[in-house]
Amino acid sequence: MTLTVMIDEAACAAHGDCVDVAPSVFALGDIAEVVGTGPDDLLLAAAEACPSAAIVLLDTDSHEQLYP
Amino acid sequence: MTTCTAPHKIVLAGGGLAAQRCAETLRREGYHGAIQMVCAEPHAPYDRPPLSKGLLDGSRAGGTLAFRPPAWYADHDVELLLGVAAAALRTRERILVLADGRELRYHRLLIATGSRPRELRLLGHRRNVSVLRTVDDGLALRDALEEAESVCVIGAGFIGQEVAATARRRGCAVTMVEAAAQPLAGILGSHIGAWFAGMHRAEGVDVLTGRTVQAVRGNGSVTGLDLSDGCRLDVDHVLVGVGVAADVGWLAGSGLTRDAGVPVDWCGRTAAPHVFAAGDVAATMDPETGRWQSGSHWEAAARQGARAARTMLGIDPGPPVPAGFWSDQYGIRIQYVGRAAPGDAVAIDGDPEARDFSATFSRGGRAVAVLLVNRPRSLPAARALIEKGTT
Repeated sequence: MTLTVMIDEAACAAHGDCVDVAPSVFALGDIAEVVGTGPDDLLLAAAEACPSAAIVLLDTDSHEQLYP
Repeated sequence: MTTCTAPHKIVLAGGGLAAQRCAETLRREGYHGAIQMVCAEPHAPYDRPPLSKGLLDGSRAGGTLAFRPPAWYADHDVELLLGVAAAALRTRERILVLADGRELRYHRLLIATGSRPRELRLLGHRRNVSVLRTVDDGLALRDALEEAESVCVIGAGFIGQEVAATARRRGCAVTMVEAAAQPLAGILGSHIGAWFAGMHRAEGVDVLTGRTVQAVRGNGSVTGLDLSDGCRLDVDHVLVGVGVAADVGWLAGSGLTRDAGVPVDWCGRTAAPHVFAAGDVAATMDPETGRWQSGSHWEAAARQGARAARTMLGIDPGPPVPAGFWSDQYGIRIQYVGRAAPGDAVAIDGDPEARDFSATFSRGGRAVAVLLVNRPRSLPAARALIEKGTT
């Protein structure tokens, strides 16, 4: 399974925890932005680290939302 | 409207999250004028939440907390004035006076001086008594916890609880003393407060509620505390976490302060023209109580700083987002959105014993706040519920 990562723009407060966990995937602008890809476990760790639960993970094939 | 020229010098009084977000947003929105940021601490803006967690348990070093690398300020033409506090404001002349006597003229001013920890006069400034607000406070406390075998945390708010949790994980014997009948009872009610007390007790913290410190033993340093119920504690180190007060002493006589904060509207505007406020120092009207409330949290400070920046530039900042905060203790993520008050009805879903539940607070049939314990996936739904309930 591969994951597609998206940012819930209304929820993101640019805490920056995702950048700490996965600097190859996220960058911080006004809010967090997706700038790369990474292994699924790294994406999940980043999503779980977000205090605002603003990282949305989708199954790339089925588009089913897996997180949050 | 053409009488008001575009600003070309913006001064940020304060060097925390709200000021940083204001500066970033100003540049991102295309403002090319001067920005001066007045930081009372000798450090460029840094992130405070790790002070009670990662910095204290040693997983983060002090130098890693900066929001931006030093080069960012030069690259974005943001002038940092470090180690100098704002001392007075003359709104008629549009001048901010600094503690070293310098006078900064502004077209727009952001008041973002944050808050200071309340201190307990009884304890004075003894060597082994800490508060936790700055990175220097955090480094001193981290070093103290290396040595201390027994730690007393006075005040069971989130700072006190997080320090208690970290100290416990570091192997210290921890006692937490709280004046109220339960921790956080004034915000979350006694039922949820009792749950927090229970969590800390299960982790080995001696939680003593409904008690205050009556007397202090020791001279240069505290060796013991005598509580109001006659209980005598022997301690190596004391952390005072009894809340914060907005840092508004320097605004005395400005006419901008009220109820110990700077009242602002939904865009961050104060009563004085061209003067804005954001973060802990800003007081917003609570429509439920009709009172000005200051002492916001991380997310509110971040959003308020950005909103003030947009308003300064004449850009609509959009509708406000309901405020939330979070706390990490013993590996448990606690999230909260909305604003509860004592007397709200509380509905629990899940298993508090297993540290897996949500508590929904409602008033007159409307959801006003949600507390999530180890349920991060429920946050978007909780946020939607509060947004629906408050509009």
